[in-house]
Amino acid sequence: MMKYVFTFDPNRCSACSSCMIACTDQNDIDLAAGEKCYRKTYDTEIPLDDGKVYCAYLSTACMHCDDAPCIAACPVGCISKDPDTGFTIYDNTNCIGCKSCAMACPFGAPRYRKEDGKMVKCDGCYMRVKNGMKPACVRACSFGALDCVPEDQVTGAYSDKACNVLINQAGLRRKAH
Amino acid sequence: MKKLAIIGFGGAGYCAAAAARECDPDAHIDVYTDTDIGPYNPMLTTYYVKGAIDYDALFPFGSLEEIQKKLKLQVYRDTPVTGLIPAEKAVCLADGTKRAYDSILVSTGASAFVPKIPGWDLPGVFKMRTAADAVHLKKMLEEGKIRSGLVVGASWVGIKVLEDLVERGIDCTLIDGADWSFSIAVFRETADRIQRDLEKKGIKLAFGQMLSHIEQEPDGRLTAVMKNGNRFTADTVAICIGIRPNVGFLKDSGIAMNRGVLVDEHMRTSAEGIYAAGDCCEAYDIQSGEQKNIGVWLNARKQGAVAGANMVGVKREFGGNALLNLAHYLDYDFISIGDVTSCREEDEVYEYEDERYYFRAVRGGGRIKCINMIGTADSNGIVKSIFIKSFENSAAELDVSAVCYLRANGFPESFIEFIGGKIVDRA
Repeated sequence: MMKYVFTFDPNRCSACSSCMIACTDQNDIDLAAGEKCYRKTYDTEIPLDDGKVYCAYLSTACMHCDDAPCIAACPVGCISKDPDTGFTIYDNTNCIGCKSCAMACPFGAPRYRKEDGKMVKCDGCYMRVKNGMKPACVRACSFGALDCVPEDQVTGAYSDKACNVLINQAGLRRKAH
Repeated sequence: MKKLAIIGFGGAGYCAAAAARECDPDAHIDVYTDTDIGPYNPMLTTYYVKGAIDYDALFPFGSLEEIQKKLKLQVYRDTPVTGLIPAEKAVCLADGTKRAYDSILVSTGASAFVPKIPGWDLPGVFKMRTAADAVHLKKMLEEGKIRSGLVVGASWVGIKVLEDLVERGIDCTLIDGADWSFSIAVFRETADRIQRDLEKKGIKLAFGQMLSHIEQEPDGRLTAVMKNGNRFTADTVAICIGIRPNVGFLKDSGIAMNRGVLVDEHMRTSAEGIYAAGDCCEAYDIQSGEQKNIGVWLNARKQGAVAGANMVGVKREFGGNALLNLAHYLDYDFISIGDVTSCREEDEVYEYEDERYYFRAVRGGGRIKCINMIGTADSNGIVKSIFIKSFENSAAELDVSAVCYLRANGFPESFIEFIGGKIVDRA
């Protein structure tokens, strides 16, 4: 199985939100109706203990965890791994909107769609990837902050940028207020 | 070739069979089930009743036939195991048959507890746990004769049964013996808000009411009579006061039990070669360090998978239970994370309320003990994650993405600080 991973370089992200707009377009997300985009960008300031300010620019969505806890948490079996890409995909035909997947996810990736009472999430644009294209968010990123590559290409200096590597890292340093 | 027996075939039993088969393609796996249907999820029953899913969706792993073929199982249908002999690693059946195995899994689940009070078996009195219970209630409601209902037990099941009735326009009263709803999981202050919001939806509440018995009125309606003499009359009565692990058949086995079968992190019982998983067992709770019966679908699946692998010699460990109760009903949701009964008067309390959220959390001994949140469903996983991390490291803090997420969702800074504070860069 070829496995793909998203990579993200926070030093290249300006939170311009092009990725969000592309995600919204690709997935026909109706923001006016209150739906939420699967990808979310953040431009936020966090005051530090030393009086300085940490400026965070982020673009986040489903991390497509290797051992995704949402899969076992779904009581109806809606969520699974795509065998061709390794992305965490779903078929919400039987979704009961119980939010068990949201409770299982440490990143807040699954979102509740009030319109039909079902959960939705980033599926990695797995159909695009299967057909040789990049996910919509990656294609829209002008600064090269987001990418999606086969796992075996994530090596060397870039390896610490892979989302499912990032989520396994611990050891955090600077204390904020 | 290893010879395995799985007693009981729900979420835990299925995941054990799947893991054992994945780890050992040659193992011989016998499954004993007291039904003739596949593993179903009891949590889905009320969703079937309301029409959110079809009957087939109760069975998330497929039909018994499909599973039997896929996992190469020998399934004994309608064949309850009546006893277990640990010294011989043997299961006993009602007809006197005894079969020995290399390892045995007890995954018999739990049953709805209905006390055998006078009137418990009157027509119109029902419980909610099995696929048959769901079919029965759905049929009863579709007949259209039910105009009023009593739900005895402000439990996680009770609130979903209540939703099924209310959404059909049925006048409902929620009754419980405790002084407030969900009393073993939420703070009184949280319960006050939950109850106020239920009343706003037109639901009548009666707490501190212990059920004595049920009578049938001359017109066929049912009256639930309380121990204090209060009487509540309606067309139907749901008894949703809790579940009990299905472990009666083990009482003479010598296997260590409390409410459920006691297991270690490998899902081993006190008897060599005998494992237990799911709602019938008590695994370690990460908060108290003690064994607790926490009947949750995700636990059952994880525990079953761990047991199945260990049964064929592949070492795996279950990371531990945590008390988590998520309820959502009638466009409303709340969650309780951690053990509310562990909180003490001297502990530090956090409370916050705005038009969207309610938070109440308690810290003691340098750790978060319990968090109650109303209206936060999308963010529950992030908060649960920091709670779990705090048991690995009492100084655990939220990383930048978690802080950004919670801020964007309108969480107050004071709550973020209370549950751990912020960390902004990596070592």
